[in-house]
Amino acid sequence: MADDEDNGSSVLDADTFVETEAPAVIIARIEGKSRQVERLLRIPQYTEALETALMDAPTQTRDEQCKAANWILVHRVLMATKDVDGLLLGLNPELHDVLMKYLYRGLATGDRITCDLCLRLHEKLFDMAGIGCIMRAISDTQNLV
Amino acid sequence: MTIRFVFLQANTLRPYLTCIRNTLTAAMCLQNFPCQEVERHNKPEVEFKTSKELLLNPILICRNEAEKCLIESSINSLRISIKVKQADELENILAKKFLRFLSMRAESFQVLRRKPVQGYDISFLITNFHCEEMFKHKLIDFVVAFMEDIDKEISELKLSVNTRGRLVATEFLRQFT
Repeated sequence: MADDEDNGSSVLDADTFVETEAPAVIIARIEGKSRQVERLLRIPQYTEALETALMDAPTQTRDEQCKAANWILVHRVLMATKDVDGLLLGLNPELHDVLMKYLYRGLATGDRITCDLCLRLHEKLFDMAGIGCIMRAISDTQNLV
Repeated sequence: MTIRFVFLQANTLRPYLTCIRNTLTAAMCLQNFPCQEVERHNKPEVEFKTSKELLLNPILICRNEAEKCLIESSINSLRISIKVKQADELENILAKKFLRFLSMRAESFQVLRRKPVQGYDISFLITNFHCEEMFKHKLIDFVVAFMEDIDKEISELKLSVNTRGRLVATEFLRQFT
């Protein structure tokens, strides 16, 4: 039959994926964001800095450099924050899922200080956002952060 | 100095286990799924990884450079691989022997895997059939309690090895005094 000849390719194949934006454009945008974030950290306004870093995260691209650049930015904000509890209270609920993905990325690094911070944030974010947040982070295989 | 170090270690243990517990509660959503490639076969998809659409993102949770936990989930099975803390050579040997002892008796544990995943000390494989027979929250309690007790067990073993060694040496050297 005709469908048996299907070579097993699925929508998840890398070659069928179409990049909507060029990596250079994304990197330029991240650089613009980092200047804004530095300014907000100096005030200091930690929640706004985190929101700026998480907004427009490069999830639609496959370029690793863009993702690494945005992760460095988010990491910078998380390490600079003095008040961990207050950081999440004012955060926009739409950004909870992206933050959870970044927390898992942080936990995978293995660096003691980063992991310590990510574990504490994970517990607090779970209390706020619920188990659906974790579910969306682990089941989303397309928009990787 | 040692007391502060122990306190700091205990400080990260609670959040580490809580994170693993919450992630497992989310990842353990298993249902029966007969094999797509071969008729009348029912395989744990996380082991074979033949179809990408059946797999979830693997999650790596590190407590520090030495301890980590890898959680890989799929539609009908979940694999949890743990690397336990091994501070020195003696703990290395004790952990290896003790966990090998447990893995060899994997049949009686049901959810244990006979061989740990490459790079880890011990692995669990939980399938939808386990979730049908046993409570999901109890399975998670088992894994988390296992992780808590493993550290205590290895510390106790190390203590008893050192004590026995000291006693034997004292008795042996007594004949020379």
